[in-house]
Amino acid sequence: MSRVKTILQQGKVKQAVIDKFRENAADIVGADNISSGEIDLLSTCRDYWPISSIWMLEGAVPALPQLVVWPNTTEEVSRILALANEKKIPVVPYGEGSGALGGAVPLQGGIMLDLKKMNRARKLDELNQLVTVECGMNGALYEEYLNQNGYTGGHFPQSLRCSTVGGWLACRAAGQFSTRYGKIEDIVVSLEAVLSDGTIFSGRSVPRAATGPRADLLMVGSEGVLGVITAADLRIWPLPEKRHFATYTFDNLADGLEAIRKFIRAGTRPAVVRLYDAQETGNHFPELGDKRPGLILLFEGAEPIITAEAGVVDQIVSGQGAVDAGPDFVVHWLETRFNVSAASRLLQKGAVLDTIEVTTNWHNAHSTYQAMQKAILSEEGTMMASGHWSHVYPEGAALYMTVVGFPGENKIGYYKSIWRAAMKACLDEGAAISHHHGIGLHRGAWMEEEHGRGLEVLKKVKAALDPNGIMNPGKLGLEEVQQWEK
Amino acid sequence: MGKVNMEELLNCALCPNICRCECPVLQVTGREAVAPAGKARLAAMLQKEQLDWDEEVLDAVSHCLSCRGCTIHCPFAELSLCDELINARLAAKAGGARLPQVEPYLANLKNYGSPYGQKNETAVCGEKGAEILYYAGCTSMANNPASIEAARSLFNKAGLSYQMIDEDCCGYPAEIWGDEELARRLAEENLRKMKESGASTMVTGCPECWLTFTGHYPEWGLELPLEIIDAPAYFLGLLEEGRLKPGRADMKKVSYHDPCIWARAAQKTAEPREIINKIPGLELHEASSSGEKTRCCGGGAMFQLSYPDTAAAIARRRLAELAEDAAIVTACPFCREGLLQENRQVLELVELLDRTC
Repeated sequence: MSRVKTILQQGKVKQAVIDKFRENAADIVGADNISSGEIDLLSTCRDYWPISSIWMLEGAVPALPQLVVWPNTTEEVSRILALANEKKIPVVPYGEGSGALGGAVPLQGGIMLDLKKMNRARKLDELNQLVTVECGMNGALYEEYLNQNGYTGGHFPQSLRCSTVGGWLACRAAGQFSTRYGKIEDIVVSLEAVLSDGTIFSGRSVPRAATGPRADLLMVGSEGVLGVITAADLRIWPLPEKRHFATYTFDNLADGLEAIRKFIRAGTRPAVVRLYDAQETGNHFPELGDKRPGLILLFEGAEPIITAEAGVVDQIVSGQGAVDAGPDFVVHWLETRFNVSAASRLLQKGAVLDTIEVTTNWHNAHSTYQAMQKAILSEEGTMMASGHWSHVYPEGAALYMTVVGFPGENKIGYYKSIWRAAMKACLDEGAAISHHHGIGLHRGAWMEEEHGRGLEVLKKVKAALDPNGIMNPGKLGLEEVQQWEK
Repeated sequence: MGKVNMEELLNCALCPNICRCECPVLQVTGREAVAPAGKARLAAMLQKEQLDWDEEVLDAVSHCLSCRGCTIHCPFAELSLCDELINARLAAKAGGARLPQVEPYLANLKNYGSPYGQKNETAVCGEKGAEILYYAGCTSMANNPASIEAARSLFNKAGLSYQMIDEDCCGYPAEIWGDEELARRLAEENLRKMKESGASTMVTGCPECWLTFTGHYPEWGLELPLEIIDAPAYFLGLLEEGRLKPGRADMKKVSYHDPCIWARAAQKTAEPREIINKIPGLELHEASSSGEKTRCCGGGAMFQLSYPDTAAAIARRRLAELAEDAAIVTACPFCREGLLQENRQVLELVELLDRTC
């Protein structure tokens, strides 16, 4: 029996309706694949949203579902959704809970559709360089499967080991090697999904097609509000022949950003491009010190190509005043890049911390960083607001701010205040409010400012595809959530 | 048997669970409640009295094979989640929670000194008072007497006197099932018999027993009256001394499965391979996950008794990583038991060695 409080629960489905659903759902997935056990509900009710962690320390959760269902096949997903739709029971698709914005919180109770049993690689198509993989496959195990067959998926989010392929697609994830391989929306060629009425549909894995808007790709970034992504055809690449590492430091961030803009413009595509401000350079690479911004680069592919690329990049960054610091810092980064242990330790010491990633063009890359840093630091309690750019494109780059504060008792108030300050600064500078963490629950409040009338279009799409509003209610800024205002 | 380390438990509970890809229980069940951080969160809630002990909670925190797969990527060097979950199970007993399916095995431990029931008394053999004591462990006794025969045969071929005593279970199963008192009683009984044997060296082929003797007994304040050595290291020593001389094997290729305790708790991955490599003409296949990155066979923490279906599913997952055209060799009675599926040939290392010497 638990004494855990719920903070954001907007309601629940009548128990008699849930009981009837459970009876019918057992015929679909088997009784062993449904649970209303308290610990299963407590364990799937949250993701990696920092607010959930703060509440956990205080003996609370955001909201509780009423059932957890584990489908094994797309057909089972279809039948479960059709049944839930008929009974108007909310459904939240769930992968491995690494989302950072409360996207998996079951605000209205209902069903957590845990997709981890759909974890098979269905087909490896070497000729067409594609793999068909189910949504619940763990990221690290996906990459391991490809490596064993001589390929890489080219997608390495920091959450690689604790996220699923379906989760990547649902929130438009980015991997650390994205400058060469692209974000997940560049890697996916087609996908299979299920709508709230049980309709199963998929796209074709052809190399582009002028056949109108792609219904399947509409699901990319939909965060579970339009339906459930059940499988996808993803691009794969042969394991790289060689890697080349380089580190440079710059007098200032503007020089570093200009150097990156120029070598991308010149046509080079290092897999990893990460420019840290001086503070983060000092934190991650103490031997480089905390006075100069540091840039790490990782090239991979066929030796003649990466040798040429590294040469062009070296010439350009040198022209921008860079100092060559050698390859070892990249080795260190590779070894530590998935380590997020500081968060656990800081949270226990009373800190509030978060990462706020936005996406900027070149013209506002530096000014957005300056504005967001100033805004966050102006909030009382902030101890650190640092940033780096990664995921680089010809038109700009993603800016990733890290915030640590010690606000005392009012942690939630502080959390909201830094986000209000950061989002205002971001939007005032003309940057977009997210690059790859997505919207979830928390960032929904800024969707109207982000999209303008485009948000109305998204609402119409939602109403058409999910007329009963059962799919992950309260997310993506499509409905107001009274209990969670910005 | 320690107290729960709340800071370490919360470090785990607050982590996004970057080890989840290496948790075999999670990978076959898909249940968040049994993910490493899921269990840590439940254990932390229990400690904070936000949750009461009941069978459902105990069942979740018991879903740990103690395989230490979660340590492969764990950034918290001081954390031993397996041990914290054992502590939680001990607390569960204090809170009155029971796992019904293990009660018959606990009764066997109390009545017979083995979770499997009546022991085979013919196991007591060898030369009374010999310097070397061979401790087979209750799983080999119950399920694979052939491995004991192989070990005895190797002692004989090496011209060494040995003895086997009326051994009791090392106490590990009682501990992981939350009966601290019984675990201690079994340990004390074993120590008495070891002392009475007069042996100076004890060789064991069971990694669970080895870890209990070398790791847990000292934590319980108990001192071993003899030196303990693991079977792979011991028989490798006999090969190096020339006391054992392997000939050609009656098979061409073996796939070695690293037992998780030898690999991760004891860092003993080299000795078994050295033994295999000393057998002329025998090809060693390495699994895709091997050495310290080995994956569990499903047999850790007595899962084959407490959760047989989950144990079998975990074993099938591991079997897919071991070469189909090779015999499987391992150095743990639980691993052998778990991997004996799908018509695969599975041998313990001592059995392989005895067949060639």
